[in-house]
Amino acid sequence: MLARVANNLFWMGRYIERAEHVARFMNVNYFSSLDAPNQLSQSRQFVLRSMLFMVGDPVYDDTLLLDEESVLYDIGLNPEKNFSIISSIKTARENANSSRDLISTELYESLNKFYHFVMNYSKELFVKTNLYDFTVNVTEMTAVLRGKIRGTLLHDEVYAIIMLGVNIERAIQVTRIINTKFNDALMAQGSYGDPIGNSFEWSTLLKCAESYDMMRRLYKKSPNSSSTLEFLILNGRCPRSFMNCINQVYKHIHELDKKVEYEKSSTAFMVGKIRAEFEFKQIEEIQDDIQGNLDTILNKMFKISENMEKEFFNY
Amino acid sequence: MGPDTDKTIFSSYDRKDGLFDEVFGKDGNVKSVYQKLLDLYGARSIEDYVTLNNKAKSSFFNQGITFQVYGDKQSQEKIFPFDLFPRIIDPKEWEIIEKGAIQRSLALNHFLWDVYHDKKIVKDGIVPIELLSSSPNYLHQMMYVDPPSKIYNHISGTDIIKHSDGNYYVLEDNIRCPSGVSYVICNRTALKRALFGVFNHYKTHTVTDYAENLLNLLESVKPPGVDSPVCVVITPGMFNSAYYEHSYLAKAMGVELVEGRDLFVENDFVYMKTTQGPVRVDVVYRRIDDLFIDPMEFYPDSSLGVPGLFAAYRKGNVTLANAPGTGVADDKAIYTYVPDIIKYYLDEEPILKNVHTYHCSRPDELQYVLDHISELVIKPVDEAGGYGISIGNKLTKEEIEEVKVKLKANPRKFVAQPIMSLSVHPTYIDAKESFEQRHIDLRTYTVLGQDKQFVLKGGLTRVALKEGNLIVNSSQGGGSKDTWVLKQ
Repeated sequence: MLARVANNLFWMGRYIERAEHVARFMNVNYFSSLDAPNQLSQSRQFVLRSMLFMVGDPVYDDTLLLDEESVLYDIGLNPEKNFSIISSIKTARENANSSRDLISTELYESLNKFYHFVMNYSKELFVKTNLYDFTVNVTEMTAVLRGKIRGTLLHDEVYAIIMLGVNIERAIQVTRIINTKFNDALMAQGSYGDPIGNSFEWSTLLKCAESYDMMRRLYKKSPNSSSTLEFLILNGRCPRSFMNCINQVYKHIHELDKKVEYEKSSTAFMVGKIRAEFEFKQIEEIQDDIQGNLDTILNKMFKISENMEKEFFNY
Repeated sequence: MGPDTDKTIFSSYDRKDGLFDEVFGKDGNVKSVYQKLLDLYGARSIEDYVTLNNKAKSSFFNQGITFQVYGDKQSQEKIFPFDLFPRIIDPKEWEIIEKGAIQRSLALNHFLWDVYHDKKIVKDGIVPIELLSSSPNYLHQMMYVDPPSKIYNHISGTDIIKHSDGNYYVLEDNIRCPSGVSYVICNRTALKRALFGVFNHYKTHTVTDYAENLLNLLESVKPPGVDSPVCVVITPGMFNSAYYEHSYLAKAMGVELVEGRDLFVENDFVYMKTTQGPVRVDVVYRRIDDLFIDPMEFYPDSSLGVPGLFAAYRKGNVTLANAPGTGVADDKAIYTYVPDIIKYYLDEEPILKNVHTYHCSRPDELQYVLDHISELVIKPVDEAGGYGISIGNKLTKEEIEEVKVKLKANPRKFVAQPIMSLSVHPTYIDAKESFEQRHIDLRTYTVLGQDKQFVLKGGLTRVALKEGNLIVNSSQGGGSKDTWVLKQ
């Protein structure tokens, strides 16, 4: 496969995945805050700041009063903001356009329909009444796309590259979501006499990562900081966890690098090393310095992506 | 959906005398190949038809079979205008078209070999040397280059019309990078879905085998010494208006779609940059114009091409389809010599007729043209896409004078032909909400390989959507129709 096209497919996977996480984060945070148990978590300003923090555009000025409609517009439909959902979908489609000869007609058609849905969505409706409708549609359409990726492509290099993009992006987004909600929990701490370990924000976090139901099945009690982090970072059976993402990356990188013994400078070696480290990690080691550890995870994922660029996308 | 008795498809169809209608005879009777289609659809209402048409259009849109229209702020995506009512060609007529198209392509291929080698046709006084020396499309770099399998015009698009006398005439040959074949296949796909059941009554040749035949023939012209050739399609990129077609062809052939930056040349061999390192490329189906393919040989600031590609080609290490320099044989001045070219190389009578052409480069013919502009079509010899054409009977007095000035200033640049009356076909016109007569032509696609040829049984019927307009090019607001070639 052409190196340039591989690069485009990789980013197509990443942008599709990114759109989903941003959409779900908006949806879950906004609606769960409406009847949140404490004053702060219920405040509009708190939720809007949380959303901006998650997409990487945090507001540091506490006195600034945010306008709800313009924040929702920026994150959802503002084509000028490169973190917006609309920008992600536009870029995903552009990447697909340049590799149309390699992906299936079915996959392209779904992505194309999705693109037109987002492009034609009324800004007015979205910011005033349809936040739920829009974000639910986005998450559903991304699920359809993943289905088409899995079900209509030959499972070869093309598929592996897309899945690498999807899983690296998922690891990054889930880590960002954990970081954001941890930050929220810190701020909400003590506002109704609750220790941080049992904050309402942990349930929201799990819902943002679409892992709440899975977590309840496994632990059968209310989530706290320790169990939530363990589930979302270290549990390889949770499809949204960091551990599962790195396992997938390790599996798919093999399609690109078929050596039995990886060279030390290769991406496959790097991924294997990270995977080995986390396979035998305990949550206690992470809990000491949660934000520091989340930053380390993010940096590792960025490194993998950079290394892939050098090794496979060099054109 | 029951038939609406108020307004059926053809209830307001107006047949003008003097136009050759493909569906209705002079007496208003339906021609036999269309009879069944009219039995099935003639009684349906216009509304039914519009519903079907819209469904087909949205399917094009969702599949992303679109082209970009660039506006002030945002570029808009549009589908290529298309009409569900098909054009049907009976097997006897098709046989003439197919044989004629192959004959022309083979003759032009001989001509190209000759003009880039010994120029016998010039020495024998058939074609004047000035036509070659004054042609901007004649590439001196191609002199004495031997293309693999001696083939230049691997892919030809021949534009054919039916005149009011009922005969087919060739309007022009396109042997540089003829486009449009992907629309042929898309139109067919759309019709099969929309006209449910109709195909049961018509034994129609498939058009979906184009890509496999193309790949087969491209592989047959591989450079000497290569076992299983690696073929690629090279595109200027996704902002090119024909990008959909390039990606379609690559996908349908199962080969890589590359851009210039994906290839490089080392020791006169061509490689593409892949995730697994360099891979050698043997056959390049190029959809980039001649002068852009290699900045070291042609336009030095072209970023679309591949430095060193031409040197590799000259060495015989890579096949380019079509070969560079084919443009010399499809310009409108050479067109008039094609009947002579066919006789000279093949010793055969031309199967398809040429439209009579006046060369403005010849003083006596220039005089005739100047005196009869209102009865003629004036065409620049080297423009594509229907640009720069003046149709005599549509010009005002002032415009005629302007054309005269242009002709006298640069006679070599122009030829003139009698105004041909292209046949008309019922076409649904959105704005009028009814079927009307519109002029059509037919672009056929011929592929030449090592000792074998292929003509796509079908082709692109192009429609001039403006009433009375004779220019069918899509860049001039033309649409298209599916074209059915019936089996014997």
